[in-house]
Amino acid sequence: MADIDDTHFETGDSGASATYPMQCSALRKNGFVMLKGRPCKIVEMSTSKTGKHGHAKVHLVGIDIFSGKKYEDICPSTHNMDVPHVKREDYQLTDISDDGYLSLMSDNGDLREDLKVPEGDVGTSLRAEYDAGKDILCTVLKSCGEEVVIAVKTNTALDK
Amino acid sequence: MSENAIEELETAAQIIMAPPNIVSNEQRHAAESIFLNFRKSKSPYGLCREILEKCHDQYVMFEAAEVLKEAIIREWSFLLDTDRTSLRQYLMQYITTHNVPHFVRDKILQVIAIMVKRASIDDMGKERGTILQEVENLIVNAEPDKKILGCNIIANLMQEYANTVKSTDVGLPWEVHFKAKKQFEATDLKRIFKFCVYLLSEVVKNDPPYNDIMSQLTRHLLQITERVLTWGYVSPILPKRLIGIYESVYESDQAPALKLSSSWAEIIFSPELIPLMFQIYWKVRDTDELAHHALNCLVQLASLSGGIVSDEEARLKYLHTYLVTFFKLVSSVTIRNKESLGISHIVRKLVIFYIHDFSKLPQSIQDTLLDEFTRLTCHFCEGAVHEESDPESDYFYSDAFDKMLEAWTTILQEFSSSLDENQQSCTMRIFNKYVQCHLAPPDGTRAPDSGGENQVDEDIEDNDRNRYKEQLQTIGMFGRGILNHSLPVLYKILESRIDAFLNHLQMMQHRAMNINEASQLDTIFEDMHWTILISGHVLCMESDGEIPMIPSEVMQYSTNQVNNGATNIDVSVKTILSTETKAGLPDNIDQCDHVIRIVYNILRLCSIEDAAISMKLGHFLSPEVGSTLMWFLNRWCLSYLLPVETFYNEMSPVLLSCLGKDTECARLVVCFILNKIAVNLYSFQSESVLLKDTVKLFSDIVCTKQKSVYIIKMEAMAKLLNLTEQVQPGTLPPNILRGLYKGFILAGACLSNPQESNTYYETVLNPLKVKFKSLTELQNFTSVCHDDKVQKLVIDLLESLIGVARGAQIFSVGILFSFLAPILAELHVFLTVYKDYQVIVQLILELFGQCAKYMLCYLQPLDSKKLYESSLATVQAYAKCNANRLSTETFVEESSCQDLALVLDLLTFILSKDCIDLCAISHEEEITVTASDVSLFGLNFIMPLMTFELLKFPNLCAQFYRLLVLINDIYPEKIANLPQELLTTLLKSIELGLTKFGTDIVQACLDFIQGMASYIFRHQSLDTTFALTLKPFLRLLIDLTLSHQINSDMISGASTTIFTLICCFQEEYQNLVQELIRIQGDPMTAERLAAAFNNLTQNISLNCERLSKLKFRDNFDKFIANVHGFLLVK
Repeated sequence: MADIDDTHFETGDSGASATYPMQCSALRKNGFVMLKGRPCKIVEMSTSKTGKHGHAKVHLVGIDIFSGKKYEDICPSTHNMDVPHVKREDYQLTDISDDGYLSLMSDNGDLREDLKVPEGDVGTSLRAEYDAGKDILCTVLKSCGEEVVIAVKTNTALDK
Repeated sequence: MSENAIEELETAAQIIMAPPNIVSNEQRHAAESIFLNFRKSKSPYGLCREILEKCHDQYVMFEAAEVLKEAIIREWSFLLDTDRTSLRQYLMQYITTHNVPHFVRDKILQVIAIMVKRASIDDMGKERGTILQEVENLIVNAEPDKKILGCNIIANLMQEYANTVKSTDVGLPWEVHFKAKKQFEATDLKRIFKFCVYLLSEVVKNDPPYNDIMSQLTRHLLQITERVLTWGYVSPILPKRLIGIYESVYESDQAPALKLSSSWAEIIFSPELIPLMFQIYWKVRDTDELAHHALNCLVQLASLSGGIVSDEEARLKYLHTYLVTFFKLVSSVTIRNKESLGISHIVRKLVIFYIHDFSKLPQSIQDTLLDEFTRLTCHFCEGAVHEESDPESDYFYSDAFDKMLEAWTTILQEFSSSLDENQQSCTMRIFNKYVQCHLAPPDGTRAPDSGGENQVDEDIEDNDRNRYKEQLQTIGMFGRGILNHSLPVLYKILESRIDAFLNHLQMMQHRAMNINEASQLDTIFEDMHWTILISGHVLCMESDGEIPMIPSEVMQYSTNQVNNGATNIDVSVKTILSTETKAGLPDNIDQCDHVIRIVYNILRLCSIEDAAISMKLGHFLSPEVGSTLMWFLNRWCLSYLLPVETFYNEMSPVLLSCLGKDTECARLVVCFILNKIAVNLYSFQSESVLLKDTVKLFSDIVCTKQKSVYIIKMEAMAKLLNLTEQVQPGTLPPNILRGLYKGFILAGACLSNPQESNTYYETVLNPLKVKFKSLTELQNFTSVCHDDKVQKLVIDLLESLIGVARGAQIFSVGILFSFLAPILAELHVFLTVYKDYQVIVQLILELFGQCAKYMLCYLQPLDSKKLYESSLATVQAYAKCNANRLSTETFVEESSCQDLALVLDLLTFILSKDCIDLCAISHEEEITVTASDVSLFGLNFIMPLMTFELLKFPNLCAQFYRLLVLINDIYPEKIANLPQELLTTLLKSIELGLTKFGTDIVQACLDFIQGMASYIFRHQSLDTTFALTLKPFLRLLIDLTLSHQINSDMISGASTTIFTLICCFQEEYQNLVQELIRIQGDPMTAERLAAAFNNLTQNISLNCERLSKLKFRDNFDKFIANVHGFLLVK
């Protein structure tokens, strides 16, 4: 069962709770849920029960939306689970600093330089496209106080 | 020279067999290539003989045998008769004198068998006869291990002849294979059978236990006998395709019936055969490996059919002998679990093949037959229930029991008019046994639930009603045969269990249960669950795809009961009415109609559930029983509630008074059920399975117009709608809201008055419209859209809309679409806003898919166009959000795969409008856009997202290619006129499909090319860019077939595609042929290839017509069989 202690994060900006409760049976595949205190995307959901005439339990398999790690939990379907607020925002890439930080500009022109180039293929391709002078949109995923560039998209004329 | 070669091979073999840490990769590859070259050696006979004699390395010996096999197939027609004979004699002599490992021996035996078969084609099996004679002598006279070898030779020989379609790798066309098989069947197969039977009659003289040699020999003999009895005696008039299917089914599934011609009469009808086979079985039934084959022989003999049994006297005599010996066996021994399946197969086959003969047998045999079948069924039933209560157990008795029930279905149908006393008592015995086996002691024999605390996975394990569907259906049929027995049994059990349940609840109001009581409660639940399941199957029949009716037996029974005074209309009506007052059993309930009494108990159980909930004891109820109740009510309502009188010749007056339209009783029942649905929705939100059954009950009972006319006007209906609207967003499990709305929409279809219908739909839809408007009118929608409350609202709204789309029918589609259209038009905006919330994206895509599936075919052109536009805008929005996107998320491919599958669904459903359009034709509007344009356009949007990586998901891949083929089938010209860029990507996918995925995809691609080529040929549009783009496929396909890259099953399919391409591009074809011949190094191969190509198209006009196509197909099969023999393509 999920630890209840560490599931409530405070977000920096709004002061509102980072999660909200939802009855386990109403969760959906591909939706979000906190498993073992981590914000996860539900990739598998199945019901089982204790004994033939017992009550439903929900078996959840989730993938940590930041680390990709897999978590599982089983929970009576009547219980409430915490669901994280997950927000994604697109930013225009304006520069990459020498120490690997991105300069990002939001829709309303605000600039931020606190996020690193993502690791792996996405990072490599991000640098390559940037060096090639392409227009790049970065999707920033934000949940439970963590933020990370999760996807990049080359901005073609079509998208503008 | 040869010694060097042998040495080289031996060294290479050592390298190949060496553990990986000793040799390097390069060494291994070099060694492999030595063997690959060895396999290609020409005329390797001398060398191979030398290897077999001198070499000590087993791997090299095995390879030598393999090389021999390939060389013989390839070079057979060039070998001199004397060489063939001497080689075969050498091999025979070799295996009888040398002690070689079994894998080398088996390979050599196969070579011999192939040689014998090839030779038999030329001499009509003369030589084969002599060889068999030698083998028989060997088996009879030689020492033990030679006997076994003899059996192996026979088995290998039979193997070579058995299959015809899949044995093309022996280098013969199918016709020749088939002729050889028939020839073998008519002569030597009988001889082999007689020989085995003779030897078995010797074996049987000894009593087990057999020594090792004896038991081995017996096993071989039984195997050969079984092989003869399971042989595919295919009629020669069937076409190759059917024989191919027959052979592959036969390989994978059970054996075909023993269908023999009258030429077998002497052997099969010999009076000793059947007793001998039973005697053998009796003797070996303790030894698993022998018993299995012996029992199979008996099963086959029970299916004797064909010309041999056309004479009635002989047939009855055979059946009589068989039955008498069979009964002797089953009445003398207890049938064990492992043999039960075989025994049940015997019964099933006897029933299938001889049911009409049973009545011609002496009465005593007929009586024994029913008695023994019943006894076996009950025995297997007990075993089955026992097996199923033990999760570790294998299912022998269960399968056997199912087989017995299948047999009974046929028997009961045969006697359907009326059962005589004996048949009734058999039916009763089986029915009682089944009920008993599913009840706990003392009434029944069910083992206590061993898995009390086990996790039952609902998604993997089927519930009982699906898992035992066929069993329950047959038991239902039994029950209907003896209603005067079965109904009282069922309601008595129900009543006693309900009373016990009530006692429990009353006790729980005062104190907590102890462990013992808790397990008692589980026992009561399980008893109720099974009794309800059985009752549901006795009272109602499966009605999938048919109009549900009250079974005539039940109708008859109910009528008779009231006519002869056993039941009383008034009492029955009062019984139903008493559910409202929630009193206990009414007085003089004994005069209540039996059907009504069962239903009364079901309704009472529902009320008790409700009462328990209101006493805060809901968490002690069993969701499983709740689901079963919903299922029962569903099934029962469809047939019994508000019956449509015109469907029946005769109505039971009781059922009419209790359930007919305009009766107080029926109104009460409808109200009761609607209220129960509402209670479940409200009280069991966490039980998704129960809710699913509840919602299904609702949407099913409103389906029939004649019934929903009443239901829709009930106050309870308005209450249910109200409850649905007021459900807190995000509290119901997925798929529940859509089921409810589907029901509300379906119910409206009964209102024929337009004004009434408008008002009704307004009531249902308006609240949804208001909710949607409240969302779009939010000033700060883009900023509050991420709020969880807003999200939940959107999700629930989309769920409801999907339900609305699903409930659409031709009458209501106009109203519904005018409601949906403005919402659909806005959804692409929602998709963009919620692009990162996959749940919402998928619901939007699904909603469009469902609209296209359930509404589009009825829509007027103008409305269709609206749907096309909003669909395309949504697909485009989806593509825009996801194109050129690279993500670090895990599972990103799976997610895209799910999304794209929904998009492909949508495009496929849209496309079907061009095949099925049911809208009333209106001439007001010009049809400007066709559905296939829309589909192609949509495809264009998502093509960039369909990466090779994604196509590796089999379902998505199949769906994608299916859509392409479908578009191509309907409008080839649309594909032909695609912009060059799109066309190139499309054909690239087709090329990929031919080589990278499974056979079904290859077939789809072949169909696609075939369709395009036919189009080009028909329109003679050879100069178009389109034709040019398609041209390379000619070479590609020929290359693929020549180099074995197209599965042999697909060759026939490929040939028609190739033919069409040849018809289109004749010049290219000629060039290609010349080139292929030119590049052959060996002049003899080149010559043979030229000849083969010549034969391929000889006398075939390249006109793309059916006859030439068929001729080409046959030629192509021969061509491939021939060319694969000599062309060594790497």
